Amino acid sequence: MIRFVLRRFLWAIPVLWVVATLTFILMQVVPGGPFDKDKPLPPEIKANVEAKYHLDRPVWQQYLIYLQSLFEGDLGPSYKYLGRDVNDIIKDSLPVSLQLGGLALGVAVMAGFLLGILAVVKPYSWIDRSGMFMATAGISIPNFVVGALLILFLSHLYKFFPPALWEGWRHAILPALTLGLGPAAFIARLLRSSILETLHQDFVRTARAKGLGEGVILLKHVLKNSVTPAVTFLGPLTATLVTGSFIVEYIFAIPGMGKFFITAVTNRDYPLIMGVTLVYAVIILLANLLVDITYAYLDPRVRVE
Amino acid sequence: MHRIVAIIIIAIGAILIIVFGSLFLESSGVSSREGNEFRMNLGSEPPTLDWSLATDSVSITVIENMMEGLTRYDQNLQPQPAIAKKIEVSDHGKTYRFHLRKDVRWTDGRPVTAEDFEYSWKRLLDPKTAAEYAYFLYDIVNAYEYNTGQLKNVSQVGVKALDPWTLEVHLKKPIIYFPSITTFMVTFPQRRDLIERYGDRWTDPAHLVTNGPFKLKEWKHEYKVVLEPYGDYFEGSPRLDRVLMFVVNELNTALTLYETGDLDIDVRLPPEAIPFYQHSPEYRRIPVLRGYYYGFNVKKVPFNNVKVRQAFSMAVDREQLPRVLKGGEIPTTSWIPPGMFGHNPEIGLKFDPQRARRLLAEAGYPGGRSFPPVTAVYDTNPINNLIAENLQAQWQQNLNVQVNLENQEWKVFLKRLKTDTPMIFRLGWGADYPDPDNFMGLFTTQSGNNNTHWGNSRYDELIAKAASEPDPKRRQQMYDEAQRILTEQDVSIMPLFVVAQNILIKPYVKGLQLNAMEILSLKDVHLVR
Repeated sequence: MIRFVLRRFLWAIPVLWVVATLTFILMQVVPGGPFDKDKPLPPEIKANVEAKYHLDRPVWQQYLIYLQSLFEGDLGPSYKYLGRDVNDIIKDSLPVSLQLGGLALGVAVMAGFLLGILAVVKPYSWIDRSGMFMATAGISIPNFVVGALLILFLSHLYKFFPPALWEGWRHAILPALTLGLGPAAFIARLLRSSILETLHQDFVRTARAKGLGEGVILLKHVLKNSVTPAVTFLGPLTATLVTGSFIVEYIFAIPGMGKFFITAVTNRDYPLIMGVTLVYAVIILLANLLVDITYAYLDPRVRVE
Repeated sequence: MHRIVAIIIIAIGAILIIVFGSLFLESSGVSSREGNEFRMNLGSEPPTLDWSLATDSVSITVIENMMEGLTRYDQNLQPQPAIAKKIEVSDHGKTYRFHLRKDVRWTDGRPVTAEDFEYSWKRLLDPKTAAEYAYFLYDIVNAYEYNTGQLKNVSQVGVKALDPWTLEVHLKKPIIYFPSITTFMVTFPQRRDLIERYGDRWTDPAHLVTNGPFKLKEWKHEYKVVLEPYGDYFEGSPRLDRVLMFVVNELNTALTLYETGDLDIDVRLPPEAIPFYQHSPEYRRIPVLRGYYYGFNVKKVPFNNVKVRQAFSMAVDREQLPRVLKGGEIPTTSWIPPGMFGHNPEIGLKFDPQRARRLLAEAGYPGGRSFPPVTAVYDTNPINNLIAENLQAQWQQNLNVQVNLENQEWKVFLKRLKTDTPMIFRLGWGADYPDPDNFMGLFTTQSGNNNTHWGNSRYDELIAKAASEPDPKRRQQMYDEAQRILTEQDVSIMPLFVVAQNILIKPYVKGLQLNAMEILSLKDVHLVR
C-alpha cells in the first residue's frame, strides 16, 4: 500500500507539469492581455508595467521563469491584485472554500445516502417515488436557481438564515445546501440502482435463508457491496466542492477560491489562473488517490498494488 | 431497520457538526450591529490600496475616505483647497506653489509635509513603480522623460518641496485644470520611510498610515474592508464608529442584503429592480460623469464617408434608450456630459430620419440600396445587448440598412479594437477628474483612447489651447467648436447617453452627499435611528 501511494505521488509530478504547461500555452493563445483596459495605457507606461512582470521577454523565457518560481513554491504576483502574491490569495481563499465544500459534501453524502436507502426499503412505494422525484429535481435544477429559491424562502420571507455574507455558521447553511443538494440527488440515484442490483445477488438470498433481519442485510452486506459507484463519484465531487463554486460564492458573497476560476481568466491574471488550476489539479489527484484506497478497503478483490 | 438508518444519520451529522462547527467558532455571531456602524457594498475587491497603483473606482472609494490631498472637490465639483491652504500661480500659469496646512497629521502622529508629496509624485513617475496613471503628471517638467526612462536624474523633475510646508510644481505649459488633477488620488502624499520599510506590504492594515477622516482597521480580501474614524483628522473626527465595506459582486445579493437591513446603502441597484423602487423615498438617481458612445472606424467602407456616419448618428432617436434601459440614462448628442464645465446640450446631430435618409442617398445608398454588410461589435453584457438591438432596429427602420451585431468577451474586444477595429463599436468613458479636458482629450489624433482612426488638426489644436485657457467664456467657445467637429462635422463618434447611478439609502442615514464622480464620501455621515 505504501509503495502504491508513493508511486502515485511520483506520478503526480509529471501530471502537474503537463497541467502547468498546457495552461501556460492556453493562456498565451487567448487574445487580450492583463493590461488591455478600457482606458488604454500609453505605450511607454505599458512597457514599464510589462517589464515589471517579465512580459516583455520572449514566451519561452517567461515559461522558464514561471517553471523556476513554481519549483521554488512561488506562484508569482497577481497582475490584478497589486502587491499580493498568488500564494497569499490561495492561502486566504482556499480555507473558506474548504469549509464550505466540506459542509456541502456532508449535505451531499448524508442526504444522498438517506434518500438512496429509503428508496430501496420499499421499492416503487410512495417513499421511493417521492425520493426519486426529489433526486431528479435536484439533478435538473441548476444551483443558482436553488440558491435563489433558498434565499427567497428561508431568508427573505421567513428570515431563518442570513441571505449572504460569511460571518458565522448560520451564514454557511444556505450556500452549503445550494452546493450539496445537486450532488446528493445524484448520489441517491446511483445508490438506489446499485442497491437494487445487489439485492438480487446470491449472497443476499443466502443471508435471508440464514434468517438475518432485513436491516442487517441491507446495511451490513448490501450497502457495503453497493457503494462503489457512489464512491467513484465522490472523488471528483470532493475536488469540485472543496475548491469552491463560482456561482455559489458569487450569489452568497463568500470569499472563497471558486470565483477566481472565472475572474482570473476574464482579468487575464496569468499567475492566478495557473495557481488555481494547479491547486485544483492537486486536489483532484489527492481525491482520486483516496478513492482508490477506499476501493481496496471496500472490495478486497481490488488490489491497489 | 429505521432505527439503524436514524442512528447512522445522527452519527454522520454529529461528526460534521464537530468538525465544521469548530471551524466557525472563531467567527460566529459577529453580524450584530455595533453602535454607529455604517455598512455598504464596494461591489468588488479593491485591486490595491496603493494610490500610486490604483486605477479603479472601487479602490478610489476606499482610498478617498482614508486620504486627503492638496485639493478636493466641493459639491459643484470645483477644486477647493484641502491640505493646501493657499495656491499661488505664477510664470503665466506654469508654476504652482502650494502652501500646506501645518495641522495635518498622519495616523501615526507625524505631520504631513511637502516632502511627502514630492516623494509620492516622483514614486508615481518612477518607471520601476510601473504606475498605470503616471501620465496624469506628464504636464510637469521632465515627468514624461523620467517616466519613460529618457531621463535618469529624478531631481530634474519639476516638483520640489521648498520647505516642509511649501511644494512647488513647474509645468511644461499652463494647465488651467491643474488644481483638479491634485484632487485625484495619484497626487496624494506618501510616506517614504514606510514604503521603503514594508515594500509591497505597506498597504496592509498593520502598516498603512493615512491622513484622512478614516483609517484602515481590517482588510479581509474578497470579503470586507473595515474603516475606523481617525480621531485627529484635521477637520474633526467623523461621527461614524465604524464603516464596513463588503465585497458583494452580485447586484441582487446586495439588494437582498439592503432589504434585510444588512446594508445601509445600495449604490448599484440592478436595472430590472429600478421600476419597483423608483417611487420609494429611499430611492435616489444621480447622473454621473460617464458617457456611452458608438464609434466608427473612419478608415473602413462605408464609414470612410462622413455622410454615412452623419446619417447613422441622425437616424437614432436617443430618447428610446432610457425607455429600454430604465436606469435613468440621459440621452445626449454632445460628448461633454451634463454637470461638467463645457457641457452644451445644443451640440450634436439631433434625430432627423428624413435628413438621415437624404444623407445616405447622397453617399450613394438611396433607400439603403446596395449598402454593404456592416457589423457593430460590443463587449458581452446584457445592457450592451439591449442597446445594440435597439440601434439595429432603428437603423433598419430609419435607413433601411441591415447592421449585424457581434459581441465579444471584454479583453478579446479590447484587443480587437487595437488590432482590427470594427466598423462600429461601443465604448464608454468615466471622468477621472471633472474637467472637459478629460473627456475631449480622448479623441485627439495621438490619443491611445481614440480607436476611430480619425484625426483632425483643428480639433487637436482646440483641445491643446483650451487646456491653457484661463477665460471660461473663451474656453467654452473652444470646447463648443471642438465638440461640433467631433459630433456634427466629422462624426467619428456618436454619443448616446450619460449614465445615472441608481441608489437606495436607508432613511436613518444622514449627511451623505452624493456627487457625479461616483465617490462616496463618508466623513459627514451619521445614523439617526
